Amino acid sequence: MGAFIAFQDVTKKFGAVTVVDHLDLEIAKGEFLSLLGPSGSGKTTILMMLAGFERPSSGSILLADRPITHLPPHRRQMGVVFQNYALFPHMTVAENVAFPLEMQRVPRAEITRRVERALDMVRLSPLKDRKPSQLSGGQQQRVALTRALVFEPDVILMDEPLGALDKQLREHMQLEIRDLHRRLGLTIVFVTHDQSEALTMSDRIAVFNAGKVEQIDTPQAVYDRPRTRFVAEFIGETNLVEGKVVEAGAQQAVVRVGEAALNVSGEVSAGRDVSLSLRPERIRLGKEPAAANALPVTVADCIYHGDHMRLVLKSGPLELVARAERLAGDWAVGTEAVASFDPQDCTVLAS
Amino acid sequence: MSRASVRDRSRAFALVAPLILFLALFFVWPLWTMVTASVVDDAVTKVLPRTAAAMADWDGSDLPPPAVHGALAEDLRTVQDQQALGEAVRRLNSAVSGFRTLLTRTVTAAREASDPATLDLSTIDPRWSEPRFWRAIKEAVPPYTDRNLLAALDLRRDAGGSIVAEEPGAAANRIIMLRTFVIAGSVTLACAAIGLPYAMLAAAASGVMRALLLLAVLLPLWTSLLVRTAAWFILLQQEGLINRALAALGLIDAPLPLIFNRLGVIIAMTHVLLPFMVLPIYSVLIAVPRNLMPAAASLGAGPIRAFWRVLLPLAMPGLMSGCLLVFMVAIGYYITPALVGGANDQMISSVIAFYALGTANWGMAGALGLILLAVTLLLYLVYGRLSRSPQLPGA
Amino acid sequence: MLRALQIVFGSLVVAFLILPIIAILPLAFTSSVFLTYPIPSYSLRWFEELVTADVWRLSIINSLIVGGGATLLSTVLGTLAALGLRGNALPLAGLLRTLFLLPMVVPAVVLGVGMQIFLVRLGLASTYPGVIIAHAVLCVPFVVVSVSAALQGIDPAVEKAAMSLGAPPITVFRRVTLPLAVPGVVSGAVFAFATSLDEVVITLFVAGPNQRTLARQMFSSIRENISPTVAAAALLLIVGTLCLAALAALLRRREKPAVA
Repeated sequence: MGAFIAFQDVTKKFGAVTVVDHLDLEIAKGEFLSLLGPSGSGKTTILMMLAGFERPSSGSILLADRPITHLPPHRRQMGVVFQNYALFPHMTVAENVAFPLEMQRVPRAEITRRVERALDMVRLSPLKDRKPSQLSGGQQQRVALTRALVFEPDVILMDEPLGALDKQLREHMQLEIRDLHRRLGLTIVFVTHDQSEALTMSDRIAVFNAGKVEQIDTPQAVYDRPRTRFVAEFIGETNLVEGKVVEAGAQQAVVRVGEAALNVSGEVSAGRDVSLSLRPERIRLGKEPAAANALPVTVADCIYHGDHMRLVLKSGPLELVARAERLAGDWAVGTEAVASFDPQDCTVLAS
Repeated sequence: MSRASVRDRSRAFALVAPLILFLALFFVWPLWTMVTASVVDDAVTKVLPRTAAAMADWDGSDLPPPAVHGALAEDLRTVQDQQALGEAVRRLNSAVSGFRTLLTRTVTAAREASDPATLDLSTIDPRWSEPRFWRAIKEAVPPYTDRNLLAALDLRRDAGGSIVAEEPGAAANRIIMLRTFVIAGSVTLACAAIGLPYAMLAAAASGVMRALLLLAVLLPLWTSLLVRTAAWFILLQQEGLINRALAALGLIDAPLPLIFNRLGVIIAMTHVLLPFMVLPIYSVLIAVPRNLMPAAASLGAGPIRAFWRVLLPLAMPGLMSGCLLVFMVAIGYYITPALVGGANDQMISSVIAFYALGTANWGMAGALGLILLAVTLLLYLVYGRLSRSPQLPGA
Repeated sequence: MLRALQIVFGSLVVAFLILPIIAILPLAFTSSVFLTYPIPSYSLRWFEELVTADVWRLSIINSLIVGGGATLLSTVLGTLAALGLRGNALPLAGLLRTLFLLPMVVPAVVLGVGMQIFLVRLGLASTYPGVIIAHAVLCVPFVVVSVSAALQGIDPAVEKAAMSLGAPPITVFRRVTLPLAVPGVVSGAVFAFATSLDEVVITLFVAGPNQRTLARQMFSSIRENISPTVAAAALLLIVGTLCLAALAALLRRREKPAVA
């Protein structure tokens, strides 16, 4: 089956600056894909090219195997939700939602019916005669979403749609959007710089850095098996450990770090200097010397975080951060201990 | 980032083009017309082209050779455009009086003559044997002149063609320019003296108080300039409110002369221009964080030092734009001095209006206008550099 | 001490700014032929004069004709130009903007002289079209500034949203851009009309006796033989300007309701 949306070798330059660099990206029908990256990584430009507001400098974009690279935005059938909602300030809620249907020359009576049904669905019917400026942020967000959905577009594009909401409302809206996606089988491309948002909502996440894709994977794979140093550091917190590969096998290797030889996962060749990523919560701390993958450490600092403790561990020149549950015992500063982990939790990063 | 497509650009141009065309035709061109009016002096050349050519070799010392007589007769005989002839006559008559009758008589004779090329003009009118009439024609023949521009600066060319100062008795323009700058400068100072503390007061106030202080500035700005000038006319007159109030308070015995003098002009213009001083300063001060003065105080600066070292430097850009703006607008003022000023308070605009409306002397009006225009544009240029947006407040 | 000084100074300046304007108003109702206080008794005779005396009545009509024409002309041209200047599609946009603002800067007398010579040559001196054109030149900057400000206030994302919802460019302009720019166009037009209403100097140069406007008539009345009719005319102008300003404010309010 061919991809529903495909970017083929797309490059976008603004003057001398390359914002998107030879991008190949495929999105399946019904998929929720997040474009995640720091500001300036090109993710919004990609969305704007997909919506038709920007033209690629080279390469092509396909929708259902049809090239749409040069199709103007109003003929693309994509519902866009903008960062600040971009509601029409001079129209009421109902008029905003009716707008795309009017553009499709849907008969009057049907427009009224569909607008009412759509507003009912997001519980905004009582507010339908208000102007956007009379709504709260969350209500505006729901109107924007409804307006983008009401004309049943092929794809919904969202450009940091939750960025302006406070934390609680944001988390609520995340669930609401995820729910809509599942219920209606929508194809959603979602731009965000908030990693937890991307992890919560997406089927797949594409992590961008400086105009290039660093990794496209499921949220779990992106978190547990980051391919690059950038991904490991950008998503979640991690310990970066430098070492030398002494033994290489299929999908696993032995890496020498200081005195210890550690079993890790990843495809590398022997003799290379590599970086390893080890998430703090995957480190097990014990008093007894473990059989394998263990480093002798000293607790250098212990920071109280309410539901857990963060421990700073020293092993020779190496410094590790570990997360300890409250039940896992008391770790006073200066305590000697052993840190261990499973081989699949420590990943070799591509240099 | 300029990434406009050719289509966007041509659409934008199509939208802007009507106004460009309109302003080019009815704004730039009129100004250009005024500038050229001050240097073009082609009324005589247009009517007497042959004479002009024939006179080229004549040194102007004695009487011109007979060929010039013939050329002049031929020119006058063939002249069709009576209006152009009239302008030429007026131009020559203003140089040497007597030209009006002389030329009228000569035109008639030239038309009746059988062979104008050999006509001896002194037989028609004895004045043609006086060199000064011929010299006047020779001086009026070049199509461009710096006469008006020089006169605007109280300069002229002497008989030898070198630039000399006008005799003190006839020199009025420099005095008027100086007076214009003095009045505009006084008004600017008065506006700064009142406007700076007032803007600071408004910026420091809050809520209703600030709204009230600002409204007091904006209300005059929205009120017709003419209404405001009329109001001052009524207030300042002999039997006006101010004199009556002062008399009622027992402060004066006889009414003070407030109108038709310099004081009245400066009071009325200060009132009119004060908003242009307050608003730029206010807009600069309003951007200053409110806790800056307390911060300065906490660092050990007393109120006066804090004002001098913190608030005043911050208000400086606003004060500078305000002063430039007030001065720039003030030097071009016409209505207020015309209505509440006396004969000795008329500024350069009044003189321009006098030349243009009173005597139809476009050359002088244009030359003085050019000077005023140049000074104003220069000030505007500095103003534009100083303030981020070239837009005037109140617009 | 400082506080008292501030209050005294503030009140004095406010009085200086406001009182002259207020002082002229009651004189419009005087029964005397002199513009002086105290007012002997009140009457409407000067308003009667305003609407019955030919010079005054004609000047009011002329002001409406010239003001209306100049407002229409400058609003159309200025709005189009402001739309064209939007979005930095033009090279030299900054220079053009400056050109559009210049009529506000050039001294009125200078422009008046040029305008007079020029309109005489075109045969438009002392005609309604000539006066209307001259006034429109002065009104243009106010329209350009006001409409530009309104356009600048439009979030480009709103127009993009309209496009993504299926609106072709013309529809985006008609349904989104234009309605959002309307308050700016209206206040530009109000400024333009007020400017024309108050204009004396250019009128002095380009208008003949038949195009004498109210402001021009007031000017010569103050200069030659001032009578309380001037105060009545002033009242008329103030009330007219206030009405226009209120109208503009009202329109703006209706377009942009306050946040609930």
